[in-house]
Amino acid sequence: MSTRLAGLGWVTPLGSTVQGVWEKLRAGEAADASSLGDSLGEKGAVAFRVPPEAVTEAARHPRLRRSSAISRFAVVAGLAALRDAGLELDAAAAARTALVFAISNGGVIYTKRFYHEIVKSGAQAASPLLFPETVFNAPASHLAAILGITGASYTLVGDGAVGILGLKMAEDLMANPELERCLVVGAEEVDWLLCDAYRHWRLLRTGPPIEPFARPARGTVLSEGAGAVLLAREGAVAIEQIHSGGNFARQRELVRQLGEIGRDCATNERTDLLIASANGTFIDQAERSVAEKCYPDAAIYTLKPALGESVAAGGIWQVICAAQALRKQELPSLLGAPPDFDLTTAENPAAAPWRRAFVTTCGLNQQVAALVLRT
Amino acid sequence: MTGHVSNRERGRGARVAVVAAGVVSPLGLGFEATLAALREARDCVSPVTRFPVEQCHCTTAGQVADASLADALPNHRKARRLHRVSRMTICALRELLAQAPEFRPEITVVGTTSGGMSFGEQYYRALQQPDARARRVPAWIANYPPQKPAVDALEACGLASPCQVIANACASGTNAIGHAFECIRSGRYERILTGGYDALSELVFVGFDSLQASTPDKCRPFDGRRSGLVLGEGAALLALENLASAEARGASILAEITGYGISTDNHHLTQPHPSGIGPRQAMERALTSAGLAPHEVDYVNAHGTATPFNDAAEGRAIAELLGRVPVSSTKGMMGHSLGAAGAIEGVITLLALRHGFLPANINFRAPDADLALDIVANEPRLAAPRVALSNSFGFGGTNATIVLAARAA
Repeated sequence: MSTRLAGLGWVTPLGSTVQGVWEKLRAGEAADASSLGDSLGEKGAVAFRVPPEAVTEAARHPRLRRSSAISRFAVVAGLAALRDAGLELDAAAAARTALVFAISNGGVIYTKRFYHEIVKSGAQAASPLLFPETVFNAPASHLAAILGITGASYTLVGDGAVGILGLKMAEDLMANPELERCLVVGAEEVDWLLCDAYRHWRLLRTGPPIEPFARPARGTVLSEGAGAVLLAREGAVAIEQIHSGGNFARQRELVRQLGEIGRDCATNERTDLLIASANGTFIDQAERSVAEKCYPDAAIYTLKPALGESVAAGGIWQVICAAQALRKQELPSLLGAPPDFDLTTAENPAAAPWRRAFVTTCGLNQQVAALVLRT
Repeated sequence: MTGHVSNRERGRGARVAVVAAGVVSPLGLGFEATLAALREARDCVSPVTRFPVEQCHCTTAGQVADASLADALPNHRKARRLHRVSRMTICALRELLAQAPEFRPEITVVGTTSGGMSFGEQYYRALQQPDARARRVPAWIANYPPQKPAVDALEACGLASPCQVIANACASGTNAIGHAFECIRSGRYERILTGGYDALSELVFVGFDSLQASTPDKCRPFDGRRSGLVLGEGAALLALENLASAEARGASILAEITGYGISTDNHHLTQPHPSGIGPRQAMERALTSAGLAPHEVDYVNAHGTATPFNDAAEGRAIAELLGRVPVSSTKGMMGHSLGAAGAIEGVITLLALRHGFLPANINFRAPDADLALDIVANEPRLAAPRVALSNSFGFGGTNATIVLAARAA
């Protein structure tokens, strides 16, 4: 019983309709980065933010009145994926729907605010309104409540690979024939504190552009948003394989591990597209290596120069990008690559029709996973 | 060897064995120490020493002694840089592998709520100091993420497997075991490492205190005058394997997991629906999954946090669904270890099945007049349970129950 992509939805720094954002990507647009400051008087950092108008729909839901941005992103993306599938969940349909939520940094804005009060004024100043929103599964809880899901709801935490690990979990859940569909959502919100940590970890640059595959790696820029994929038994694009990958203890092990995954996922059939997670950090050269060795004919693309590094959301965005490229038979141009970049891209792709896309997600904290989509 | 599982189980997919386990909790490190503490109904809750609690209502917790972890990992060169929750998880995995050295998981499915949260706290406190840049330690960032303890434990023990880390609040550990069970039962996997881990952190401790969910008194699950929970910490891991495969290679079978139920109660972010519908649905689904009738359950290891809301909802659900089945919550002895709780309590339930006793629900003084429950009050009870439920419920309205079945001697 194959698992298929029945609906797609995303909230990104370039907007929140699949087609609208896709057209901007095809036109070579990149989101504008903005400075992050906050009420705590901290110094600035630069990141790609979701424009407020992209999530106006969230204001309709009372459950989100006090929620953090991450929950609003997730709800808007999730509802968009259901609409894309032409599905309205009544109680009976909701009972046969599971939710898998992928997350990395979680509700960092409220977490920081909550802890800041403790540090500044002591435990007695801690807010009982903020604390519940700091819990990793708060966004999933809001989405489940809005959709009326009363069965399986899981929040997975991890690094940039967690989106695909969430899809793997959803595929495993759908081995249960009583389950008709599973909504997989990845979401993140960005905050100055995160930027500081990534910069201190030597993974961040001071601002755009993100230059994928550059040597030496010059660093990434964080972003925020959500991606949602509705898995079902029917749909135009099928999941051919999900490779749960593994963990790499050292950066140099990533090349070997991703190479093994690439070989495992390769077949006699041509792979037309490679949607990479390259973001201007050490992971880029591992993805370049797997492209050269296993998928030399696949047109390689990464969303990160246009949308930034949004970790859990980013992995789902990649899957949406791959599905959209297969559906539309078109791929945006790779932004920001070095002038001497010599791999296959949208400028010199394999001849249509494109039927197979390989998606790799290499996290910055030891996890790696991949999947193959096909029409 | 024939298990207790009824023939109705056949045809539901592969049967699932627990072939090894490891546990670290305030009760002690390992099976033997845990069993001794359970048999003594030992109160292992103590004053919090890890961070200031003077401004909190609650000042106690179940804590794992760092010295015991250091003793257990004396030669591990990276251990000092790792978060203590990673060290707990390594200890649990080492105990598991001592029982089943050949166990090689295809995937690891574990639960947590906050991983190495205290490293994040240290990072933020350092930021508030003058010359913040010099004071921040990169290892805090690298070892803070919630998936890190699982990755660290696998690496420390020479294992390689992808990790799915479930963060379903306090139900995480039971969700992890339950999902792992379903993955093997479906035939998609043969061997899965599962469980959960969490360590005390100031942010979470103060968070529960701010909600007035924690108590300045003793933790008294299901007591008529219960006033809240105390937190705890620890790690527990279970090696799950397709029963037929395990038997074919002559593996020791500690117990079977025969059912799993999950439900989502959309009532409120932090409070269960007062009717107990969430817990009831989770238990009903677990029994259906196991092919069991309610009267076939011999013992319930309850979530039993001792908050007025949780115990009322859970107690009502147990009484309505299962009648006067013996019930205990072991959180009075060791506190509520959040994402680790379901895994630790899964191991405790397994020990109860193997060693013929029902763990005590300590600090119990008088029953709640609204709950018709058979509480295993204050002392462990000699018994021969064959089928037990282990419940976990969490913020976000997530509810999970697993069914464990004893193996015939």
